[in-house]
Amino acid sequence: MLQRYWFGDVDESGCRPAGTDPARLAERAATLRTGMESYAPIEWEVARDCGVIRTREEYINLLRAVTTTLARQKIAQSYQARDVELLQMVRMLDELDNVINLLQERAAEWYQVTNPSFSRKYRSLPAKKMLAIVRRGAGGGLADVAGEIERLAGTRSRLMREVSARADEVMPNTSALIGGLVAARLLSCAGGLAALARMPGSTIQVLGSERALFSHLRGGSPPPKHGIIFQHRRVHNAPKEVRGRVARVLAAKLAIAARLDYYRGEAVPEFIEDAQARIDEAGVVR
Amino acid sequence: MIWLGNVLVSPGEGGVYGERTLDGYRVWDPYRSKFAALYALGGGIDLMPEMRVLYLGAANGTTVSHVADYVETVYAVEFAPRPMQDLLEVARRRKNIVPIMADAGRPEEYAPFMEGVDLVYQDVAQPNQVEIAERNLVFLKPGGHLILMLKTRSVDVRRDPAEVLAEARAGLEKHLVVVDVRWLEPYHQDHAAIVCSLPE
Repeated sequence: MLQRYWFGDVDESGCRPAGTDPARLAERAATLRTGMESYAPIEWEVARDCGVIRTREEYINLLRAVTTTLARQKIAQSYQARDVELLQMVRMLDELDNVINLLQERAAEWYQVTNPSFSRKYRSLPAKKMLAIVRRGAGGGLADVAGEIERLAGTRSRLMREVSARADEVMPNTSALIGGLVAARLLSCAGGLAALARMPGSTIQVLGSERALFSHLRGGSPPPKHGIIFQHRRVHNAPKEVRGRVARVLAAKLAIAARLDYYRGEAVPEFIEDAQARIDEAGVVR
Repeated sequence: MIWLGNVLVSPGEGGVYGERTLDGYRVWDPYRSKFAALYALGGGIDLMPEMRVLYLGAANGTTVSHVADYVETVYAVEFAPRPMQDLLEVARRRKNIVPIMADAGRPEEYAPFMEGVDLVYQDVAQPNQVEIAERNLVFLKPGGHLILMLKTRSVDVRRDPAEVLAEARAGLEKHLVVVDVRWLEPYHQDHAAIVCSLPE
């Protein structure tokens, strides 16, 4: 039986070595397709008798050079993937949200100490207005902090637009159904486009509601209807009695959209149109 | 295996991951490494200088580095890019580690690099751990051993770990002789080590 090994091809009639250059060997090894039915592990002495190397040490060294080269190429490939940066962008965005909220609350608490009359009003104010009041009303450190929070909020909105634009590029079908931002969050939760594309709709439906899901699986509590996809208006604006149905249909279509994005990488208008219609239909109360 | 008092150590150049050293030996911590925990509990297969080992789920290469201190060659298979970078760094300093970036569940990916081994050590967080082990038996020499670190939580979080273990054991017994089974408590929760041998 012919065996195709990293150093060459071996069969009953002998051995055809593939050279000794690690880069060339790596290139060749990447193309090898091994059927496991007739496979037999290497005996390194064959490589020696074949003239590839002279000693066991040389054998291991050359093999290491080849596998290391291959591993480096694969690592570079996986980092090049377009979705990897998007993943970091979304996570940074969510982190910024957290930090801004914390700082804002603290600033309000601080301001309240010096202006007792502020307490009732600030909760109902939009954050932007509240910060402007604090920045103007307070002095010294607090005014500085309020200014920084405002700048951070500006950074956040710019990043949000960037995330949205990148999601439209990386996952056009998913973004068309649910918007760039929510699509990017799904990606972040799944851990990459490849992972998202392999998920069933039912998993996508509850991504982000792991706590509710596991409390359901352990028994007792009702199952979650939606996770991250709740953030989309179609789900949270849907009348309560059909919300579960909308979430289910939307998630099922998202699963298909993610696969189109991953394997085809371009928008498929017929699919999007069809899916939109089907999701709208699910939102109709009968 | 080398013990200093009741501390498991391995001979080799230190400073791989910030491990402590003792009399010039590297301390192999059972709380960090499941392999070390298995020895600390009195189980395991003694690592010999002439052994060739296939290590599935090599991760950052911390345990791999200790195994490499003892044996002739370690084929270290890891799938994820981030830990693979660390593993490459470990392999750069230890000339008997062959780092392979591949999916342990798809042995055909790395079969062209493999020779027969005396020990297959598997520590992967996958639901089909037993199946992965079966697929890799093709690399095991007759008379060789398989050590499967069963992460019962990765198989199914909802099921009783003991039940998961019994099922895994039954699966392995189809091809192998189970020599030893033990839980890794108190070092690791819900992890069991299954030691098997391949009949001659």
